[in-house]
Amino acid sequence: MDTITKEQRKAALDLMKANLASDSKFQTHLNACVRCGLCATSCMYYIAFKDPKYIPGRKVNLVSSIYRRYFTPEGKYFPSLFNARNLDAEMAEEMVDCLFGGCTMCGRCVKHCSIGVDVSYIVKKGREMLAVMGLVPKTLQATVDAAINTGNNMAIPTEEFVDTIKWMEEELQDEMGDPKANIPLDETNRHIIYTLNPREPKFFPLSISAMAKVFYAAGESWTLSSKYYDVTNYGFFNGNNEEAAKIAGYLYDETHRLKADKLVLGECGHGSRASRWEGPNLLKKAYDFEMTTALELMAEYIRTGRIKVDKTKNQTLCTLHDPCNLVRNGGLLEEMRFVVKSCVANFVEMTPHGNDNFCCGGGGGQLAMSEYNERRLKIGGIKADQIKATGAKIVITPCHNCVDQLMQINHTYKLGVTIKTVAEIVADALVLPDPASPHDNPADTAAETVADPLHTDSNSSK
Amino acid sequence: MIISAWISIAALIWCIAFLVSYLIGLIRKGAPKDLSERSGNTVKGIIYSNTGAMLPAAKESAYMHLPTYTAGMIFHIGNFLSLLMFVWIIVCCCCNISTPAVLALILAALLTVSSLCGIFILIKRFVNVNLRSISCFDDFFSNIICTLFQIAGICIMLSFSNICTYTDACSADRLCLMNFYFIVAAILFIWMPLGKIKHLIYYFAARYHLGFFYGWRNTWPPKHI
Repeated sequence: MDTITKEQRKAALDLMKANLASDSKFQTHLNACVRCGLCATSCMYYIAFKDPKYIPGRKVNLVSSIYRRYFTPEGKYFPSLFNARNLDAEMAEEMVDCLFGGCTMCGRCVKHCSIGVDVSYIVKKGREMLAVMGLVPKTLQATVDAAINTGNNMAIPTEEFVDTIKWMEEELQDEMGDPKANIPLDETNRHIIYTLNPREPKFFPLSISAMAKVFYAAGESWTLSSKYYDVTNYGFFNGNNEEAAKIAGYLYDETHRLKADKLVLGECGHGSRASRWEGPNLLKKAYDFEMTTALELMAEYIRTGRIKVDKTKNQTLCTLHDPCNLVRNGGLLEEMRFVVKSCVANFVEMTPHGNDNFCCGGGGGQLAMSEYNERRLKIGGIKADQIKATGAKIVITPCHNCVDQLMQINHTYKLGVTIKTVAEIVADALVLPDPASPHDNPADTAAETVADPLHTDSNSSK
Repeated sequence: MIISAWISIAALIWCIAFLVSYLIGLIRKGAPKDLSERSGNTVKGIIYSNTGAMLPAAKESAYMHLPTYTAGMIFHIGNFLSLLMFVWIIVCCCCNISTPAVLALILAALLTVSSLCGIFILIKRFVNVNLRSISCFDDFFSNIICTLFQIAGICIMLSFSNICTYTDACSADRLCLMNFYFIVAAILFIWMPLGKIKHLIYYFAARYHLGFFYGWRNTWPPKHI
């Protein structure tokens, strides 16, 4: 990067000024870091590379040094004393490299920070500044553009998606031995609208049929949208909140268009976060329908006896990878373990796990930024070591981005494990009712569920 | 009171004015606004953020770096003690009273330990390449001025116990020491709201925000699995 224009600088500083004027969290975290450096050993980039540029406190310092330079008197008049830096081309380049290419925004350092600085929040704010300067890595921006222009981040044409779904529906019918078993598309007035990660129809269609099997067993009234089914939202990562809001709006509007009671977010960590936690804030309104994750829904099915599972059907030793956006940043620590432990006979935890777990390395949009592939796979070595130490042969995770990264880690580090989503594990453990019995036929139950609003209400997850 | 004492009091007023303005600025912006459906308990999250989450066992920054963590904790205790001691010394100066010798010795001993911890952290910042790479003048100076304030406090305690009162200094050779103490205090108070020592305010705000964030999402208090 040779230079940045005055307009670019002004746009970034105006954004920072606006955030400072309204957001006490921003002001707090910009001023709270004491640069003790103890966060270094909580960051997988630092652990993998031992390069001080990856110290989380330094990433915070990139953004806070701009704040000090332009928004504090001491930084304005004595910049060298307070490490107050100009927002110039060199700085912008450093920010792109560290904030986009050197952070998965997993938040592990946040939990372990001696002060409590929300590093990933500041990294996100830094990315927002880079976004208004037009400095989002092209690969990441292309993913966002695809989602905005086509409704899904892999730009899968609707016809192709519909064909895949029809194919999966036939598979489901064959497997269930029930011609009524279906994968509904664009049905209105269903209880649930279900969403997918576009990687599913593109690369892993069996995970769609796994979830369809769970819905079938639960006798659920559900539908997919043929156009707006993408649960992911890379607008959360590129720092462009308008684009993130637009993508979040697709699911919001589609839920209304199809008149569904509940939006169920498919197995995707950041996608779930972008809708469940960030969506209402991006759209600046509380959602007027229920929203839950597939994980919570499956937990509810098991708890209420709507589906029956037999853990002896999954005998292989399994371990669990906690997606950062569902566990540390989403509070689903227990739900995930409840579902998995209900469905597998042999389970072992990684060390560390839960809120302390390491990111897979593919978070923060890293999977979409091919320019940082080498870094991504190197930090993935930490996850590989964790997996190896468990001795497990199956790694379960309720996130398709994590699945993708874990598969690459599996290949790169020759782990010899199988990666599965939670829906796949639940589907494998399902005890299915006899479709020959009219009282046991889930497809019939689904029809009854639609007809009976009381039944529908009683199935609400919240 | 000697003039340096008045200067330090003026500096303290400057410091408090700034810190209060930061605090008011934060309060004015209000509590975090979140339109998503709350899943957990923010009050419990904030309480945990300031209690359990701060325990050494809960944080890698503590249990993976025990010597630094311990030194940091002791150094911070020393800093707070020094600030309280400053108020006490001003009161003594105004009221012409002295510090009981035993108390003075205890305080001096505590501050000796804490100032050594401050020196340890300072050396680490100079020696550790990674730490030095993220440090600026403020990081070194803030540590130095706090440590110096503690050392000056030790000297004062050892020199002005009930052997003599603080007002004696005006007419004795201890005037130099008193001036040193108050000037160091004044520099510290002037620097505090400008440099990183202002985390005195922002630390608590950070714990609040973090507790709110994790509490809202039902991550904190953590579940036992």
